Amino acid sequence: MAKQQHTCVLVSDFNLQNFAGYVTNDPEFPPIKAIVAPFGQTGSTLLHKDAPCWQNSPDAAVIWTQPQSVISAYKTLLSYEQVPLQTVLNQVDEYCSLLANISKWVKYVFVPSWVLPSYRSVFGVLDMKTEIGLTNTLMRMNLRLAENIEKASNIYVLNTHKWIEQAGNQAFSPKLWYLGKIVFGNEVFKSAVRDIKAAFSGLLGYARKLIVLDLDDTLWGGIVGDVGWENLVLGGHHHLGEAYVDFQQALKSIKNRGILLALASKNEEQVALEAIGKHPEMVLKLEDFAGWRINWLDKAQNIVDLMTELNLGPQSTVFIDDNPAERERVKESLPEVLVPDWPEDPLFYPSALLSLRCFEIPSLSQEDLVRTTLYLSENKRQTLKKAVGSLDEWLTRLGIRVQIEELHPANLQRAGQLLNKTNQMNLSTRRLSEAELMAWAEDKHHRLWTLRVSDKFGDAGLTGIVSLEIQDQSVQIVDFILSCRVMGRKIEEAMLATAIHHARELGVEGVYARYIPTPKNKPCLDFFKSLAPRFQQQGESFIGDGKMPFPVPKHIELVY
Amino acid sequence: MAPRENITRTLFNVIDELNQLRSTEEQLEKNLAAPLTGDSGRLDSAGLINLIVLTEQKTAEELGMPILLTDDRTMSQVKEVFGTLGTLAEYIQRLLNEKRDG
Repeated sequence: MAKQQHTCVLVSDFNLQNFAGYVTNDPEFPPIKAIVAPFGQTGSTLLHKDAPCWQNSPDAAVIWTQPQSVISAYKTLLSYEQVPLQTVLNQVDEYCSLLANISKWVKYVFVPSWVLPSYRSVFGVLDMKTEIGLTNTLMRMNLRLAENIEKASNIYVLNTHKWIEQAGNQAFSPKLWYLGKIVFGNEVFKSAVRDIKAAFSGLLGYARKLIVLDLDDTLWGGIVGDVGWENLVLGGHHHLGEAYVDFQQALKSIKNRGILLALASKNEEQVALEAIGKHPEMVLKLEDFAGWRINWLDKAQNIVDLMTELNLGPQSTVFIDDNPAERERVKESLPEVLVPDWPEDPLFYPSALLSLRCFEIPSLSQEDLVRTTLYLSENKRQTLKKAVGSLDEWLTRLGIRVQIEELHPANLQRAGQLLNKTNQMNLSTRRLSEAELMAWAEDKHHRLWTLRVSDKFGDAGLTGIVSLEIQDQSVQIVDFILSCRVMGRKIEEAMLATAIHHARELGVEGVYARYIPTPKNKPCLDFFKSLAPRFQQQGESFIGDGKMPFPVPKHIELVY
Repeated sequence: MAPRENITRTLFNVIDELNQLRSTEEQLEKNLAAPLTGDSGRLDSAGLINLIVLTEQKTAEELGMPILLTDDRTMSQVKEVFGTLGTLAEYIQRLLNEKRDG
């Protein structure tokens, strides 16, 4: 993973120096340097882009405030004076407009939700009463904050209550407050750092996308080859059986968020598949797995095969196995695969899975929800490929359709994901927030198209982006991005044909593409090199004639 | 009563915690003689607050005996008490002895 240090501005009405220390010193990816804005000046810091903390284009900001500091009506309520709820909510709206303001100049903004120290609940029975109860009003304020912020694509509200719960009785320290104006104990800050780093990592496109699972004593209790599927420990009125079911349910919920599941198990394939198909308490069905390797071969090799099949790299993969020897083997041979230490007791499997902070995704697109289906369709394509005589015949029989669309609010989320996650077929590997991407595309000198690819086996969804910058007598291809899911079907040529078609309409002399190398985007370089002599390489740029048409491959139907 | 080695171990644990907040250049030594405060010390006022709170917390957790380091008696002799880890250990020992003797 890239070791570039990111900068994060911390804005607060209390002392965040301890939090800043944890942010900067935390060894986990991504490295972040904290810049602390002067505390107690939240309003002016959020209003003024020229404040020193915003100089040098920070990557992110954490705006962590106490409710009574930024919402004066809530401060009144803390004195048990009555305040109309609407007054409180109006002030929340005003505060949100300040947050929206800074989201224009910071890529990602994190806003921890508001909390009150638990000792503030003097009148317990009134606490949840509307307009009187402090907790009731605070819950409404947080809800309003979250609802308002949903409109901005790069502001994220984080759940402070979770950190409070994790810190237990060390969450608040009156001593730290009175001596140093530090609201929270250090355990709260440590939990916050873990969550913010996980979120940031996800936003940078480093979330894990695949969980490879063992079967025996991992997905169920017992060795299926020895005891038979009827005697596996799974479900029923048995504490271990219930834990295995819960673990499978947790996996299924993660899969429903777009994370792929796969199997790597040392077993007879037929025996294992029969267990998956026939055991009545199996939560996970065969169609929940994007792939499997059930055999007696080395698991590390099986994982490599699965990753190749699913077009994912080791940095996208998590391996879960109850057997420490198998875990060690995979850790040693595939160091980039995340192999979490796994509890010996299956009762802790569900919580061990759900506490992994590596699946953070900033948004959820339609493609995420049907990802496993997309991979199963890919298996069918590959089966057809093996059955037909040539590549051309295979491509023709796929019946590929590419729909070209301009960027608009409905496809922005997925386009943003693609831009920020794609590494291989990516000309410039630029990373932009959704707001930045939309602003860029709306510039009169820019053109951006998305490509939606489908064939007779299914719809791969929005999987390509091509964009142009119009210059005097030429156009520059800025983004040339294609998901690895559809690479190798000459979609790249259809993308280039789209770009050149528009360049010709503009009547420019030349089209050029500047390749910016990264450790992962050599496939893009290879593609442009393959276009010679139509495109000539000069250093890291590829230059072509803007007047000469570029044909769309015959097997592709291009739809505008 | 907690022997002196236990107090030292607890203070070293406090230093480990404190160092998580500090940059590589500002790391504190686990050395009883190294100055903490004063002209040659590495702790600023924020660092001292953390040292005080963490020491109270860890003493209660690890030695089973709560102590108070924010009272007037301690605050009136900050330089003497928090000069080094050694002087702090000595002071904690004295507080624990007083507690034992009632």
